[in-house]
Amino acid sequence: MPLRYIQIQPLFRKKINFLINLIKAAKVIRRLLLYLRFMKIILQQVYPSFLDKELINHSQIWTKELFFSAGENIQIVAPSGSGKTSLIYFLYGLRNDYEGNIFFDEKNIRSFSPEDWATYRSEKISIMFQDLRLFPQLNGAENIEIKRALQPFHNTVEMINMAKDLGIQNKLQQKTETCSYGEKQRIATVRSLQQPFEFLLMDEPFSHLDEVNRQKSMQLLQEEATRRNAGIILADLKPIEFFKPHRTLYL
Amino acid sequence: MNRSISYKTIAGLIDTGGKKRSKFTSYLGLCLGVLLLLVAVQMFININQLIKDKNPRKNGYDYISITKNITNQNMGQDNRFTTADVAELKKQPFITDAAPLISNQFRVKASAGNIIPFSTDLFLEAIQNDFIDTLPPNFTWQQGQVTVPIIFSADYLEMYNVFAPAQDLPQMSAATISTVNINLECYAPYGFQTFKGNIVAISDRINSVLVPENFLTWANKHYGNAENVPAARVFIKTTDANSSELLNFLQEKDYRINKDKTKFGRVKQVLQAIVTGLGSFAVLVIILAMLLFSFYLQLMIARSKDNLQLLITLGYSPGWLSKTVSYKWIPVYGIIIAVALLVTQLIQFFFRHSFLSARETLSPMLNWSVVGLAVCLFVLCITINYRLIKKLLYHL
Repeated sequence: MPLRYIQIQPLFRKKINFLINLIKAAKVIRRLLLYLRFMKIILQQVYPSFLDKELINHSQIWTKELFFSAGENIQIVAPSGSGKTSLIYFLYGLRNDYEGNIFFDEKNIRSFSPEDWATYRSEKISIMFQDLRLFPQLNGAENIEIKRALQPFHNTVEMINMAKDLGIQNKLQQKTETCSYGEKQRIATVRSLQQPFEFLLMDEPFSHLDEVNRQKSMQLLQEEATRRNAGIILADLKPIEFFKPHRTLYL
Repeated sequence: MNRSISYKTIAGLIDTGGKKRSKFTSYLGLCLGVLLLLVAVQMFININQLIKDKNPRKNGYDYISITKNITNQNMGQDNRFTTADVAELKKQPFITDAAPLISNQFRVKASAGNIIPFSTDLFLEAIQNDFIDTLPPNFTWQQGQVTVPIIFSADYLEMYNVFAPAQDLPQMSAATISTVNINLECYAPYGFQTFKGNIVAISDRINSVLVPENFLTWANKHYGNAENVPAARVFIKTTDANSSELLNFLQEKDYRINKDKTKFGRVKQVLQAIVTGLGSFAVLVIILAMLLFSFYLQLMIARSKDNLQLLITLGYSPGWLSKTVSYKWIPVYGIIIAVALLVTQLIQFFFRHSFLSARETLSPMLNWSVVGLAVCLFVLCITINYRLIKKLLYHL
């Protein structure tokens, strides 16, 4: 073994280690920066004013102090009647019959004007409703386009590719009122991914999907969330097998 | 919000159909209302313009001669204006100034010398200089001066020219009459004195033979032995000869006015009242049309309520939605008001060509204020529409 080679190797290792550490540090700094820059949701002793005390006391969410930051995947497991949909509605500003306070980036959402909500809903929070809320008289493509046009994150080709991935490309030209519930769920999934967001709220998104489609949908959702450094808040009756949450909370 | 997004994106979600008839009725109503209003305003301006030209105005003032009404009952009395009467006239807020026309209290005979063998008994009158429309600088007289300047009525000159040919007298123009030498013979009880009269100006305003005031005061005292003579006529100076206050006051005092001057004032009063009535009616029609249209809008929003609500849920801004939905009617309102403006213009052409003689001057184009009004109405319609939709959307 030549002398030179023996001498160089430890030096080379040091250099590599240094580079690796540098990259690690950069990652930490990046995460820190992201954490500072990205949207944060704070729940401060929130509970629905109409819910039974019994249900509230056993919850890991109601009346607790919670902190969600963009990039974090949260799974909320809730039996029927525990206020799962209400929580999603509180976070999306559709209802405000709750006690306690919810803050988006240090701003109490009770003080939001309709215009503030419009900004958040088109730029920071996307949603997939349990009841889907599609325009029944429009076809799949039009339903997706109405959301895409508002604040386009993808172009039309990417949008069609997503529909293809979920196997609904031939439903795009069909009026949604004639589609099955499972097809509608997939149209709503594609629609929810057309805008920029930091949080994606989902309320029983895969209730009418078979295992294959559940997996495909979940994969697409997680890819899209990662692309945006966004967090997913997914509420369902039981844990979703293909979802990899950072935290699971029982409501 | 994405700037390229337009009404087209959401067009399918807003139910604009339904009560088509009520929509078009409101359009028609609005068009007729705007048309009526614009025509009323233009006619108001036309009347003002046409009638203003009829009055000889000086510095924006009207000068009107008034006399006391002579009736069978008061015939025997002295129907002249006392100093108190004149003072009362001056006191009125709608009368800027009043001046009596002093008349001669002695006999005056005028003859034109040898060139025009013509002689007549004449009357002379005098008034404050600032009431005279054509006042030359040489309209002055000093005691001992033989030449007396005279301002002659344009009407009298016309009258003279009518009877002159029949009397074998030469007809005269306003320019040549000033070259005629008139001998004024002023008679006193003990004899007469002759002055040289010189016509220095022709007056359109005052129907009289005017001499300088100081000459007449002096002559009245000298030949007629009269001082502070009450005047049979008073001239009043006013900013608006057609003001109803003035006309009512004169009527109440039973003063006769120069009908010819206020005749147009009366006509103008009546016409303006009619046009104002028409304008108010037009405003009412516009309000009703807007009301009908607002019902249509409310219906439209109620029918599209679910869709609009869902759009807001998806993140559409209610402000953007109200703007976009209401801007959809800009061309509709634009066309409606443009049509009304065009028809008003046609009516103005027609009015000018059919009802007015060539002598009268009236612009064939619409007055700028009418165009301004149309623009205001357009802006008003759009604003009302926007605010209404915004209100409805925020209350969804």
